[in-house]
Amino acid sequence: MSTSLLDAYKKMQLIRITEQEIANFYLANKVMSFVHFYVGQEAVATGVCAALASGDKVMGNHRSHGHYLAKGGDLKRMVCELLGKAHGSSKGKGGSMHMIDKSVNFVGSTPILGSVVPLACGAAFEQKYNKKNDLTVSFVGDGASEEGVVYETINLAALFKLPYLIVVENNLYSVNSKIKDRRSEGYNVEKIVTGLGAQYMKADGNDLEDVLAKATAAVAKIRAGGGPMVLECITYRHMAHSAPLFDDAQGYREEDPLEKRLERDPIKRLKQTLLTAGTSEEQLAKIEKETRDTVLAAIAFAKDAPFPAKETLYTDVYAK
Amino acid sequence: MMAADPSVFVIGLGVSYKNGADGTTAGLKAKYPDRIFDVPVSEAGFTGMAVGAAISGLRPVIHHGRIEFALLASDSIFTQAAKWNYMFGGDNPVPAVFRIAIGRAWGNGPQHTLSTYSMFGNVPGLKVVIPSTPYMAKGLLVSALRDRSPVVFLETRYSYGMKQHVPEELYAEPLDKAKVFRTGKSVTVVAYGDGFVGALQACELLNASGNGTDVADIDLIDLVSINPVDHETITRSVQKTGHLLCIDTTIDSFSVGSEIIAKVAQNGAIRLKKAPVSLACPNVACPTSTALTEGYYPTKVDIANAILALQGKPAIKYDLSFDDFHTHAAFVIQG
Repeated sequence: MSTSLLDAYKKMQLIRITEQEIANFYLANKVMSFVHFYVGQEAVATGVCAALASGDKVMGNHRSHGHYLAKGGDLKRMVCELLGKAHGSSKGKGGSMHMIDKSVNFVGSTPILGSVVPLACGAAFEQKYNKKNDLTVSFVGDGASEEGVVYETINLAALFKLPYLIVVENNLYSVNSKIKDRRSEGYNVEKIVTGLGAQYMKADGNDLEDVLAKATAAVAKIRAGGGPMVLECITYRHMAHSAPLFDDAQGYREEDPLEKRLERDPIKRLKQTLLTAGTSEEQLAKIEKETRDTVLAAIAFAKDAPFPAKETLYTDVYAK
Repeated sequence: MMAADPSVFVIGLGVSYKNGADGTTAGLKAKYPDRIFDVPVSEAGFTGMAVGAAISGLRPVIHHGRIEFALLASDSIFTQAAKWNYMFGGDNPVPAVFRIAIGRAWGNGPQHTLSTYSMFGNVPGLKVVIPSTPYMAKGLLVSALRDRSPVVFLETRYSYGMKQHVPEELYAEPLDKAKVFRTGKSVTVVAYGDGFVGALQACELLNASGNGTDVADIDLIDLVSINPVDHETITRSVQKTGHLLCIDTTIDSFSVGSEIIAKVAQNGAIRLKKAPVSLACPNVACPTSTALTEGYYPTKVDIANAILALQGKPAIKYDLSFDDFHTHAAFVIQG
């Protein structure tokens, strides 16, 4: 295992507290910028990224704050991007749905759902073409995984035996649409994936240790030349699809009422494990406080940071 | 270019066999067995994968045998490749080349002859060229394979039969400049792709007709790029001639000519002697029957007579043969 549980806990708290404080800031300052929160799903990004080497690439989707931070993306630049500032990771042109930090091989996120799956497959194609020992991971949701291009890409990746891991974060909803309204009774993800010639694994996405163990096994197989894999992680999205709010009042949730989501909260769960293993309450409280201080400092920095110059509206249409 | 740059690879349906890709990739698989990729019939998947490879630093040449199939991959072209560098604030090149066969082809009917050129001009971030001659096809492809932005190469299938001497060595033609093919003084003709072939044939017709109009009257501009459109070159020409004829092989609504004429109309420095003329296809899909397609594309006679009308000269009469109407342009450009 390439990381300790305590490191994973720190990372999950960083993702959670960043989004909590961003939500507070948005509500207090009427920031009207599209945002999809990852709260509740932190174990997936943290567990998968902990299983990777630094040369491995990661790509994400519209809900990628967690993927970006888990891969080591710069916090200040991320917050600046959310607030549309010049120091942002995309200089204010991308926003929340376009996370990127190439210095840590988080090579982009794109919100047209399944579209990231072939793009990341291309990154894996390049790794094999140039005989590298690295692999690529893409994160998508259960809704995105229903798009045809995902099935096309699994076949392509298997055909070319590419070093590629697709992580499907199944949080039960596509926006507010339930799985049972979207899939036939016989729909079977494992059979689809293996039928296309890739390997399939499933993890409890609310359990960091399970995600880490499965991702570590998947990465080892892929790096050994085993071809592409799909790791499906079952998890919960605690907040609304695209707002800094809880949305239980909308009444669409049947399987995962708030009490159930909070009971299975991955951070709460890992905290219990750490306490049982002998980590002290004080130590964990200290981590939480330090993390919150770091996040608040980043938000304060971003709040005061300059906006991009007006003329940059016209720049970077083409690569220099 | 494949010899010069190991990052170049070719991907698309049928590119690994002799008559695949209209024969344009014949022999490459034997020469570069690990760099020519035939693929499943998964346009969105393989195009997206190739764009991802370009984002990662490779140089894919992505082939689509008909525009209709490329549209199955429109997310990868329009939404991903085109915007990648801009939306990530620069320093994110996508050096992909999309070779897309487009437009007129004998008997191909409504769903194999779409000619949506304008759509590609409407997406910032793409560089879009239409090679009109064999010489330009090579020079533009060399430039495309040296560029760091996604380049869409719209190849009019009708022009595949053209012949022209092309130098052996590598040479590059700029991707964003129209080319003044012939210099004249009284009419500006702007054309691209198979419409440019039509313009060349119209010039021959006028030369042979003995009615006083010859190529010395015509400023013939090969548009080359529709993203961006080189309005400067067109403006210079129209300021000189005062007459403008645009030839399209797409439908009249939102045609390339409409865009050019709109910009000319907005330019107060241009004084036209007559209303500009746009020749284009009717606002219907291209049908299959030869009896109907005869009325679809502007012919060399239509073009010649439009040039004459702008000069206030009488029209010529010429009976078009079946081959004139329907066969690939086996046109030979001298010199």
